[in-house]
Amino acid sequence: MKNLKKILLLILVTSLFNRCTDHVDYEAIEGYQITSEIYFQQEADYDAALVGTYDVLQWLFFNIQLGAIASEITLCGGESATDYIGIQQIDDMTHYPENNVLRQIWQFLYEGVNRANYMEENKANIDFEGKEAMYGEVYFLRAYYYFELVKFFGDVPLFTEARLTAGQAGTLMRTPKDEVYAQIELDLQNAIASLPNSQSQVGRVNKYTAYALLGKVLLYQDKFAEAASALDNVIGVYSLVSDYGSQFLRFGENGPESVFEIQYSNQSNWYDWGCAHCSEGNYAIIMNGPRGWSGPEYAQGWSFNVPTEEFYNSFEEGDSRRDATVLDIEAFAATTGASYTEGYDHTGYFNNKYIPRAGESGGQTELNYLTNFRIIRYSDVLLMAAEAYNRGGIDDGLAQEFLNQVRRRAFGGDDNDISASGSALTDAIWEERKFELSLEGHRFFDLVRTGRASSLIAGFVEGKHEVFPIPQQEVDISGLTQNAGY
Amino acid sequence: MNKIFFNFFISFIAVLTGLQAQNLSGSVTDSEDGEPLVGVNIVIQGQNQGAVSDFDGNFTISNFESGSTLVFSYVGYKTLNLKISPTDVLSDNISVLMDKDLSELDEIIVIGYGSQKLSDISGAVSTVNADAIEASSPVRVEDALQGQASGINIISSGSPGSKPTVLIRGITSYAGNDPLVIIDGISASIDDLNSLNPNDVKSVNVLKDAALASIYGVKGGSGVIVITTKSGERNSETKFTFSTSVGSQQVVKTIDVLNASEYAAILNEASVNAGEGIVFPNISDFGVGSNWQDEVLVDAPIVNHSITASGGSENTSYYVSAGYTGQDGVVAGGEKSFFNRTNFTTNFNTDLSEKTKLLINTNYSNIKGKSLAENGITSVLSNALNFDPTVSPFENGTFGISETITQEIVNPLAQIDNTYNENKVDKIQGKIELQYELMENLNITSRFGYTYVNIYDKGFVPFQFYGTGHNQTNANPDLTPIVTIDSEGNITSTHNRVFEGNTNFFNYTYELYGNYDFSINENHNFQTVAGFSIGEGKGSNISATNEDVPFNSWDYADVSAATGNATQQTSGSWQYVNRNLSYFGRVLYDYNEKYYASFTVRVDGSTSFGKNNKFGFFPSASIGWVVSKEDFFDEMPVLDYLKFRASYGTLGNDNINPQFSLISTFPSYVFSGTITPGSSLGSIPNDDVSWENQVQMNVGIDTRVFNDKVSLSVDYFKKTVDDLLFSPNLSLYLGVPSYPTTNIGSTESTGLDATISLDTSVGGLSISSDINFTTAENEVISINNGDKYIWGAGYGIPYRNIVRFEEGFSPGYFFGYVTDGIFQTQDEVNNHATQNGAVPGDIRFVDVNGDGIVNDNDRTQIGDPFPDFTIGWNLNLDYKAFDLSLFAYASVGNDIYRAYERNLNYTNRFASTLSRWTGPGTSFDEPRVTFVDSNNNSRASDRYIEDGSYLRIKNIQLGYSFPVSLVDVWGFDEVRAYVQVKNALTLTDYSGYDPEISVGGVLNTGIDYGTYPQPRIWSMGVNIKF
Repeated sequence: MKNLKKILLLILVTSLFNRCTDHVDYEAIEGYQITSEIYFQQEADYDAALVGTYDVLQWLFFNIQLGAIASEITLCGGESATDYIGIQQIDDMTHYPENNVLRQIWQFLYEGVNRANYMEENKANIDFEGKEAMYGEVYFLRAYYYFELVKFFGDVPLFTEARLTAGQAGTLMRTPKDEVYAQIELDLQNAIASLPNSQSQVGRVNKYTAYALLGKVLLYQDKFAEAASALDNVIGVYSLVSDYGSQFLRFGENGPESVFEIQYSNQSNWYDWGCAHCSEGNYAIIMNGPRGWSGPEYAQGWSFNVPTEEFYNSFEEGDSRRDATVLDIEAFAATTGASYTEGYDHTGYFNNKYIPRAGESGGQTELNYLTNFRIIRYSDVLLMAAEAYNRGGIDDGLAQEFLNQVRRRAFGGDDNDISASGSALTDAIWEERKFELSLEGHRFFDLVRTGRASSLIAGFVEGKHEVFPIPQQEVDISGLTQNAGY
Repeated sequence: MNKIFFNFFISFIAVLTGLQAQNLSGSVTDSEDGEPLVGVNIVIQGQNQGAVSDFDGNFTISNFESGSTLVFSYVGYKTLNLKISPTDVLSDNISVLMDKDLSELDEIIVIGYGSQKLSDISGAVSTVNADAIEASSPVRVEDALQGQASGINIISSGSPGSKPTVLIRGITSYAGNDPLVIIDGISASIDDLNSLNPNDVKSVNVLKDAALASIYGVKGGSGVIVITTKSGERNSETKFTFSTSVGSQQVVKTIDVLNASEYAAILNEASVNAGEGIVFPNISDFGVGSNWQDEVLVDAPIVNHSITASGGSENTSYYVSAGYTGQDGVVAGGEKSFFNRTNFTTNFNTDLSEKTKLLINTNYSNIKGKSLAENGITSVLSNALNFDPTVSPFENGTFGISETITQEIVNPLAQIDNTYNENKVDKIQGKIELQYELMENLNITSRFGYTYVNIYDKGFVPFQFYGTGHNQTNANPDLTPIVTIDSEGNITSTHNRVFEGNTNFFNYTYELYGNYDFSINENHNFQTVAGFSIGEGKGSNISATNEDVPFNSWDYADVSAATGNATQQTSGSWQYVNRNLSYFGRVLYDYNEKYYASFTVRVDGSTSFGKNNKFGFFPSASIGWVVSKEDFFDEMPVLDYLKFRASYGTLGNDNINPQFSLISTFPSYVFSGTITPGSSLGSIPNDDVSWENQVQMNVGIDTRVFNDKVSLSVDYFKKTVDDLLFSPNLSLYLGVPSYPTTNIGSTESTGLDATISLDTSVGGLSISSDINFTTAENEVISINNGDKYIWGAGYGIPYRNIVRFEEGFSPGYFFGYVTDGIFQTQDEVNNHATQNGAVPGDIRFVDVNGDGIVNDNDRTQIGDPFPDFTIGWNLNLDYKAFDLSLFAYASVGNDIYRAYERNLNYTNRFASTLSRWTGPGTSFDEPRVTFVDSNNNSRASDRYIEDGSYLRIKNIQLGYSFPVSLVDVWGFDEVRAYVQVKNALTLTDYSGYDPEISVGGVLNTGIDYGTYPQPRIWSMGVNIKF
């Protein structure tokens, strides 16, 4: 049994000296994880990071929903007065800094900014063909995210050099809106300089997308002459589709009128209710569907964002956009025998542009609708150009022409052409935006930008509701100042 | 040569002194019941010579000299010194009676890398022995600790085989509070206790303070549960035990919900209040309708069988056992909900040489289970509580459906029918250990402990129909797929789906340490240990799903059989590894068993820690003073024993993962209609992250009075945790990556543990009883994090946060609005702070911050789920052949948050609705009913908080031991039969199923999501020894 002593001694020696302290070292590769130290070393890494920067666009469904819900043309709806309390409050203009939806919008937009900045931070690592054009997309996206931030919140923290690190939490202050706009314009000018006229892949932005967004950004600052010249570049590049409603259907996506769309897909069944925005589908769609639906064409949803009767009735006689925009559910049910249950704020009308349509989602229905968001359509470009030419006092005739191009498509002829000029023409252009672009995320911001919100939106307090409150959590953590009135 | 000479010399001396050396034989029995005592150690005082009593209690000592003193010692009995007179020797068969040591203070306690007499310990320890575990016959061994050991708070669930919440001395951490579990020296966790047969457990010791737990360093911060399993006795014949019990479980209490006609009337009123029409024109048609709780709650069996064999030869001992536990769920019964465990245990030890001992312990267990949705809006009980009572369980051979409820809530019977899953666990856990006696009192132990677990899961989501348009429906009424054709003629279809997953865990720990015990000048006694430990834990998983299971049948539910194409199949995997390396040492010292001191040190290194903090140092020390051994103490009346203890030291908690700046490849976007993979920064590291550092102080007193009949132990502790681990809430403008875990907070817990025991007998009745008292007060001292709090659990749809871990508050407290009755008139609404949407009949919420508006900023502390104190009371009575044990447990001051109400317009409501507000003065606490709740009466508020204090008679067991004469005829040594009732009676004001609510995590304790109630269990059983 002397051998036992030896065995014990051997075990002792080998275990003490074999790998001792490096036993407790750990490298990421042991978990098959990729670290930033080995990233941005090849072109494919940049490609992937750009896809990641686009990805955040898909999370912005509430930005679009609130453009309507915060305005007078739709009600919040939902299951009950407490369903999605954050947007119910915005509908009623009773919202305050503690609001999950606003916090989400703020944080998501900044994730987009940070992803763009992460590419900026690593721009100099390697060189490859087409890198400048690629960064044109990066700058466009950063401009888009900052523009949304300014629209919603006014003055916001501005940073462009690099992704923020944990140590920078709480170190930034709000930058005046004008400076943020200057950065947005700079990013878009840089994007225009490097982006190609067209992209091989549908969904990528090109030079004209950047011009269109620049025109919009300038119009929001009442820089009419600059806006007109930016938008001039886009006039004639796109065209209006003849059937207004067709472009909101599945096969009208990315058509000749589409300048910028946020792309969604039903090709993946992946979903996670804890991260509803993380799927490749459009979350807003299920929200806007009729409750307990049993019938053709549509599919059931949660009855949010319901158009008001007043809005439905405000369409002019013969305007083909009414039925493409608003679904009269009672009439539809009466002719097809469909049934549904009424939700909160039931008006009898549904958002027909962004609504669940049968068969358009993936295996997991709620979170995988394929419907794209039409962010900038050519008719928006025309109406923006009309407004710039009119309000800038540049050329009312051209403004009328742009406006009437949009109206002729809607009414199927020139019988409804507008011949007004001056401020009457301005009013007509603004009114046209309501019918042409409603439910697409513009209405509330158009009303605020043109100073009409307080007269049209019940509960809207001038000097307060033009911007949403900075999320309370951000005020608490980062010490940011709150917007006036909140 | 020497030996022969020595013997000769002794004989010579004996002759000279007139004493005779000869053989002495006798038998040792228990003084009370006359049972022979096996394995009693008998030595001749002052000599190395002795013997061990055999299976019949008989012993023989050769070369005995009359006039010498024999020392009889036996675990659990008082050591007996017996001077043997010549007449005794001549009688050639003396009979010795040994008294049980009722105080059990000389019990040997396994304390980690060694053992110590309980009376020698100057730290804080609670012990539970096999008898107490046997009496409570739990499915999981830790359930037996509830109320049996002070300082431990156990919150159990009625769900078959489920893991309880175990808290030793309060809540100190956000990251994790599960104690470390050591089974026969092998590191394990509370999760591992699902595979241990409680019948195999010999003792459970809970190391509560730093002095004892710091030998486990960074793992010991939440306390250590040391479990010792049974082993055989050397030199004994094979002894068999056979135990069996069968029982029936019933849910005693149901929750009052509206019956069908009440439901219809209330809904009519709610609809009218919202300005809409009557929903049910003919209320009288409905009667009482369906009672969904009665439909789903069933009586379910529970069985336990175990057989063991143990014994040993001179060099070897063994213990083998086989056990089976089967528990069916009281919700829906055993077809869809059960926990079945089969165990095989072998504990074997042998002497490889005179100085080398080999120990091999192996425990194999196989667990099979099925489960139904629990603890959430989609649970079976939630459906039973919330589903429409006007719907029949079955209509025309299919399950009844509701046309009006279209979200989440479904016919619970249909849900049960549509739930298909299974879970199979194979686990092998054990150790191989060598003990080598290097020299006298110096032992080297080399131990390899391991756990291997394989878990296989399968789930099947069949085609199911709960009504057209219901969000849980994925099929037509005839269970064919729903086929839709879009405007362009594209066809899509719904599918059924099967999931399979396989998970493996392998952990090992190798430890090498030496124990050296020595004395200086006889009075200075030292026990020392030093060694090191090295270990690794690995886990990996691979899973797959596919669609289109043939025949929509569970029989064919397998990924291999499903016919979905490549795009319908998904797969996933994950893996992790962690490693640790530790060095430890301990010195225990006593002076004449009067003054005690100990010093312990552990150094821990872990892969979890940041690069700059790889090793942590955890020292502790304790002192003890047995006052009753002082000379001056002899004059004290009444007091028989008095000891003071104090300890101070540090411990840790390492619930973190290694951190890196990781690229996430999860993001993707759609280009040209194709999903394109992308990347983003997923997480950011913190190279400085380290363990949570806990400083714990303990002072205690042990005393016995009235001739040792009553004993009392009291401990007071204070734990302070610095460097609390958190994922901080950083500025939102950093975006969404996960930010590094950092050490940014501190907590403090203080508390008192006390045990008072009584052991006495009156006539033939022997009485033993003890009361355990446990209290702990916890506070989050600081979170150096932007907004000073972190959300814990929430509930419901829409989701409402309810639990906070916040600076200045008790960890995990309930947070919400404070109600102040009901608005009776519009004037009251107008005179109150602005409360949007409120009308008369709505709840008035308190404007806590006084800013004139009621909003989220008015939320405040509305409850605390943890009890102010808990008390366990044990009573054991023995009278002749009868024994009775009774155990009661009380939890006082714990709040419960009711979170099982779905609150859809058409879901059922609770009986309190019957006393709702219907006009001024009609109700002051129950709001009006309405389909349009513009006031959000269902917001998280103290309306849902109830006092969850309770007193529960957990266990009553009455046993009868058959007379030996009869048992002999049957060929057995001992036969005992018993009847038992568990959870016999619960006294509480709580309105839900069960005031004892465990969902698994500390930060969702006390939230009643429709908790799985603990059933009352009637059972009977037999224990046989032969």
